[in-house]
Amino acid sequence: MVASVATVDGVFRALSDPTRRDVIARLTRRPESVSALAEPFDMALPSLMQHLGVLESSGLIRSTKTGRVRTYRLVPKRLQVAEHWLAAQRDLWEHRMDQFESFANSMEGEQ
Amino acid sequence: MTATDGSTFDPLVDLMVERVVRVSPERAWAAWTNPDHVRQWYAPAPGTISECEIDLRPGGVFRFVLRQPNGVENPITCCYLEVVTHRRLVWTDALMPGYRPSQTGFFTAVMTLEPRGDATLCTTVAMHRDATDRNHHADMGFHDGWGTVLDQLGAYAPTM
Repeated sequence: MVASVATVDGVFRALSDPTRRDVIARLTRRPESVSALAEPFDMALPSLMQHLGVLESSGLIRSTKTGRVRTYRLVPKRLQVAEHWLAAQRDLWEHRMDQFESFANSMEGEQ
Repeated sequence: MTATDGSTFDPLVDLMVERVVRVSPERAWAAWTNPDHVRQWYAPAPGTISECEIDLRPGGVFRFVLRQPNGVENPITCCYLEVVTHRRLVWTDALMPGYRPSQTGFFTAVMTLEPRGDATLCTTVAMHRDATDRNHHADMGFHDGWGTVLDQLGAYAPTM
């Protein structure tokens, strides 16, 4: 339970930064090398590596090294953690609004 | 999509839920703002609300006690931010009554009512903190029904 909350925490922290979200968005299309990922960013390589490190430790992405090229790919299952968290919030509010609807409709004819 | 004035809907951490009810905005408003009404439906079942206190003005208190079937009670205190009678209600747990910052703030809710003929469209937007401090909610175990969330997560996480 604690581990799972830490997991969610890590995923959301990883996703809380626009550069990291951009990396995720690009990796949803295909795996990319570090140099390909760095290309569109006006940012020093160590900074980008730091972002990639945060993403990798959250479990959202994984990297493999072939020769001198490190390639990053998405771990789609981990991205679902964020979706599931919000889905659970949604369940709560849907449930609450269902109860509101029943209650409000029962007020018909009341003062 | 705009969640509230000046705030952009963030699909990662916000959600919107709508219902059309067969009553006037005036009655729907009462359902949200009269404590005797709120306690009848606001708790996520099977929880119930054993106390509810409402001071309906900006900075006023929205406090309730959630009671679980096992008897565990959790008081939740929020602060109203906007009160536009019959139209719009905004509250948060990020501030305590009188706008004092809270330690545990987690969400802001924006509830709007719009007449639709004889009925009323009720829209609730819940905006959540962008997740840098979620461990705290695990410590609390149950927070305004969010405990259900964590339970579901606990059930889900081992399958990852």
